[in-house]
Amino acid sequence: MTDHVPDLTGHAEALLPDGARTWWNQALARARDEGPEALPELFPALRRRIGTTGLSAGMFRETPYLVDLDAWRACDAAGHVLLEAAGSHDGPATDLFLRGDLEERTIVLKAMTLRPISPDTIALLGEVQRTNTVRHVEAGVLDANLAVRALEAGGPMTGFSQDDLHRLVLKLAFLDLPVARAYGVLDHATAELSQMLEDFAQEREAAGRPVWADTWRFLGRAAIATSRERLAAGLAHAQPEVRAAARDGVQAFGDTDLLKQLDA
Amino acid sequence: MRIFEPHAHMFSRVTDDYERMALCGVRAVLEPAFWLGQNRTSVGTFVDYFDTLLGWERFRAQQFGIHHFCTMALNPREANDDRVNADVLAVLPRYLEKDSVLGVGEIGLDDQTPKEEKFFAEQVQLAIRHDLPVLVHTPHRDKKKGFERCIDILKESGIPMERVLLDHGNEITIKLTRDLGCYSGFSIYPNTKMDPLRMSKIVVEYGVDRMIINSACDWGVSDPLMIPRTIVKLQQARVPDADIEQLVWKNPIAFFAQSGRLQENDLAWPASADLRETFEGNSVLRGQDPAALQP
Ligand SMILES: [Zn+2]
Repeated sequence: MTDHVPDLTGHAEALLPDGARTWWNQALARARDEGPEALPELFPALRRRIGTTGLSAGMFRETPYLVDLDAWRACDAAGHVLLEAAGSHDGPATDLFLRGDLEERTIVLKAMTLRPISPDTIALLGEVQRTNTVRHVEAGVLDANLAVRALEAGGPMTGFSQDDLHRLVLKLAFLDLPVARAYGVLDHATAELSQMLEDFAQEREAAGRPVWADTWRFLGRAAIATSRERLAAGLAHAQPEVRAAARDGVQAFGDTDLLKQLDA
Repeated sequence: MRIFEPHAHMFSRVTDDYERMALCGVRAVLEPAFWLGQNRTSVGTFVDYFDTLLGWERFRAQQFGIHHFCTMALNPREANDDRVNADVLAVLPRYLEKDSVLGVGEIGLDDQTPKEEKFFAEQVQLAIRHDLPVLVHTPHRDKKKGFERCIDILKESGIPMERVLLDHGNEITIKLTRDLGCYSGFSIYPNTKMDPLRMSKIVVEYGVDRMIINSACDWGVSDPLMIPRTIVKLQQARVPDADIEQLVWKNPIAFFAQSGRLQENDLAWPASADLRETFEGNSVLRGQDPAALQP
């Protein structure tokens, strides 16, 4: 059984610029009539034709999706609608991404966060994992629960493993993006991941560079040998966001002495 | 003086060229898809090249404040090559819809073969279908006859002449193109074909209406600073600044604005790119501290 795909047509059409209606109607008709074959000529024009006005539609919560539509633009919603209208859940998205410019790639990745997990999703999460283009990491895994949906998808859609999630979290650390925006990822903390983050933190400290604040959240949730020491130091850290993350980590860690320090 | 360089194959230039161009006032470059010095043997290498023009090359230019645009096409030389010609035409439509693609080019004639004529005509039709202007490469050998043949094919196609830029012109061809209603392009080279002094004489004689100059810099002996060098010659010839501005800024913008994807206002400021950003994990900084390069 595949998850249903939410219909964003209303959101996209509410923000159509003056004069874009004819193009949009033709684009929708082409996607419906010609299927995925039509998309390579339509996606490049989306930003230009539909525009980048923000959606301001709030949080979309409908199992299995958790997506902040306030992080979407009109052209993202239009891309989602076209993919669905083309009636294929597989294949075209990867091609659109690989042959897309920066905007098309962003639109494709956003659309995946509100579509069922498919081999496309797995392939594109791999691309996100390998890119350092911040906006593509944001579009694919932030303000949405796509990474966790991919991790939890079983059967034929298996392909995004706990290892992949570890690498993705390391990518967030490397780019200094907050894990709170990758919904549900913090619930999949493991000792192995904590160790990876601890090693990265030590590297950064040796170089005199700042450590990713969310490191403290993971080390509190999945304990390793250095967790207690790092959490204790974090509570007195000079950076307020590190102190906040350390407090959150301590609560998950559950050490009585450290918890007492929280009250103090 | 702000400069729109409307014909530069930056793919084959080093990063220092971008910086020198920016320092001389180049605010935007247009990079026509072209022949890479040797024939390609599969459509895949074309596709990768097209993607480079849209991605990495654009990013590289932006890091020096230069806006980067391109035109896409099967070039005339490889129109003769049956290993690639039809396949390249099949992938072009998606590329002709990309935001930074402002036209179809370089198309035209080189050796003036029947195959070149066939793919030239087909690509003019693609331009009409995608509502784009065309950048036409004219032969360097047997130039006058080549120009005349290009003009015949363009007239047959039905494309409006103001959407045509006939490039690589000289003192002879300007007589053919002046009254056609098309834009006349001149590529200025260090030693051969057309030089800054000859160009200034053409401007003095014919004016700047629908005239465009470029460096056509590529792998060969060429110079990305040929527009600035020509500006000096024009000033020495007492050509008013307003005319020079029309030649090196307003005209190329007006021509490529016919794509509907470019407005002069887009170029009001240098392109911005956060130097800390990378493209696909790649940066031109090679370990330098970006903070040191921030203005
Ligand atoms: Zn050229």
